[in-house]
Amino acid sequence: MLARFSLLVHIASRHLIVRRRQTLVATSGVAVGVGFFLAVSALMVGSQNDFVRQLIDVAPHIIISDELRSPPPQPGIAAYPGGAVQLHGYRIRNEVRGLKDWQRILASVNAIPGAIGSPSLSGAVTLRLGGRDEPLAIVGIEPGLEARVSSISDKLRAGHLDDLERVQGGVILGEELAQRLGRGMGDIVPATAANGTTRSLRIVALVKKGNSQLGSSSGYMLLREAQSLLGRPFIINRIGVKLADPYAAETVAAGLEARYRYKAQSWQERSADFLSLLLTRNVIMYTVVSAILLVASFGIYTAVSNSVADKRRDIAILRSMGFSQGDLQMVFVLEGMALAVIGILLGWALGFGLMTILGSLEFPIGGEIQHMPLDRSPRQYAIAAAASLAAGVLAAWLPARKASRVDPVDILRGAV
Amino acid sequence: MTEPVLVARHLRRELDGDPPPVLVADADLAVMPGRFTAIVGPSGCGKSSLLYLLGLIDRPTGGQLLFDGRDLAQMSGDERAAIRLEHFGFVFQFHFLLPEFTALENVMLPLRRLGRLSAREVEARATSLLADVGLAEKGWKLPEKLSGGERQRVAIARALANNPRLVLGDEPTGNLDSVNSARVVELFRALAHEQGRAVVCVTHDMGIADLADIRVSMLDGRVIEVREQNPPS
Repeated sequence: MLARFSLLVHIASRHLIVRRRQTLVATSGVAVGVGFFLAVSALMVGSQNDFVRQLIDVAPHIIISDELRSPPPQPGIAAYPGGAVQLHGYRIRNEVRGLKDWQRILASVNAIPGAIGSPSLSGAVTLRLGGRDEPLAIVGIEPGLEARVSSISDKLRAGHLDDLERVQGGVILGEELAQRLGRGMGDIVPATAANGTTRSLRIVALVKKGNSQLGSSSGYMLLREAQSLLGRPFIINRIGVKLADPYAAETVAAGLEARYRYKAQSWQERSADFLSLLLTRNVIMYTVVSAILLVASFGIYTAVSNSVADKRRDIAILRSMGFSQGDLQMVFVLEGMALAVIGILLGWALGFGLMTILGSLEFPIGGEIQHMPLDRSPRQYAIAAAASLAAGVLAAWLPARKASRVDPVDILRGAV
Repeated sequence: MTEPVLVARHLRRELDGDPPPVLVADADLAVMPGRFTAIVGPSGCGKSSLLYLLGLIDRPTGGQLLFDGRDLAQMSGDERAAIRLEHFGFVFQFHFLLPEFTALENVMLPLRRLGRLSAREVEARATSLLADVGLAEKGWKLPEKLSGGERQRVAIARALANNPRLVLGDEPTGNLDSVNSARVVELFRALAHEQGRAVVCVTHDMGIADLADIRVSMLDGRVIEVREQNPPS
């Protein structure tokens, strides 16, 4: 069996060596296809991963807020489900905003392996300075917990998250906002809450520019102080959750929501529009790239089918010698495979080179030198190789089948 | 009484058409080991067609072809290929060597395909086969570097590679000068008389036909005469 295979490989390789130019054209077609596939997909996948990482990291993986996706059933309706009388115009019971029983929610979040929850209270205040009003969404946090749940501490230009604990009335503002107010580190800004409470806040840290999500209009305070400023003692209205596996966020969020009825929004839900955009982008990329690989396989088809046409006489001889139809089909499929494999190896080298060039390009963005995010995982190499090999074998198989059906009688009789 | 290697009974080959053109009509023939059989007849009489049927290259549309008591006409393509490989050797009017392979490699092809010998044994056997046809020194040459007679002798060596019981020739001397032609005929006679193989040759050369042990004459697809010219001693 092995001897037979090595004999067929021998015959196929002789055919390819004799037809050097065709071999070169077909293999370089595959090589260019594979090389550009690698470069393009490294860029696309790399930038996508980078983008998704930012989507995930910009906020906690799951945010449980004190909103409800549907209003709670009114007591009358709960008491008489499916009743014959429908109630209209009943007075809706007012409930105090905030997550009720939030300690229990937090405990069950923390019970999930690898998950951490951070409670917070957000509310609106106004910063009033020199006749200017700046609205500020204030978030009261536990610095120790929040640092583990969000990436806020990496985004501070100056100061430290822990300084909130150390400084009475400490606040963290965005750089842009501080600039607009004409205030810097250590300066005092007066804040007024909706209920009229006014406090003097001291800027203890600044959030770097360019983090628009953290916003030019939001700030961080200590949870206790925020509760006191907003006049909502002991209340929190948000729990941020960080998971060990960000991709589990959707299911975990659904579980939490089913259990506590509060809206638990995963990062996937939050960025569904971006994710669907990425999906479209991937479909486009793989369409274009498979077209490249398909065109490369045309080269293989041409090469193998020319080889079959050229070798009709040899096919007849080998058949008369006792080679089976399967043998001859195998010879030509092997030729296609060899072309594909050589092309793939060259294409890998080309792709590697292109990625090295792309990776070495530098882009100054926002005052920092950035490199293109590239995905250099072996997975891309494997996908390119598998697709080209499959296309190559298929492209060779069609003419190879024709080769196996050559009728030796016609050729042996009419031979020149 | 020796058993025939191959027996054709009412062997028939028609082409598609209405009425179907008949290439071989109800041929009956027994191919005997140790005998040199020549098939003769005017061109277009169906002698080559009969040879291709006997050699399993073509499939009959009717009749039986018995080899070791089995009907080859009913076998699958792969089974027929396997029998061809192991028991049949072909020599054509044109040498039909693979141009990319040296003379030695050409002779090695059927040996390697059969796969019964080690690589070293394959090479040794191919070398000795080439020596038998007087080409011991030329095994490394590509076919294009050999003369017509040499190529035909390589082709004969290749036909004998797997020690076939039946050797078939389709005008094997058709393209050779008289010296080379005589040499090939001598080789064929030796294959039959000294090695005990069955040899069947299609030829229009009456000189060769006269040297054969059995002469089969054909006309219009029919075997019209089977004549013993050289009864076994």
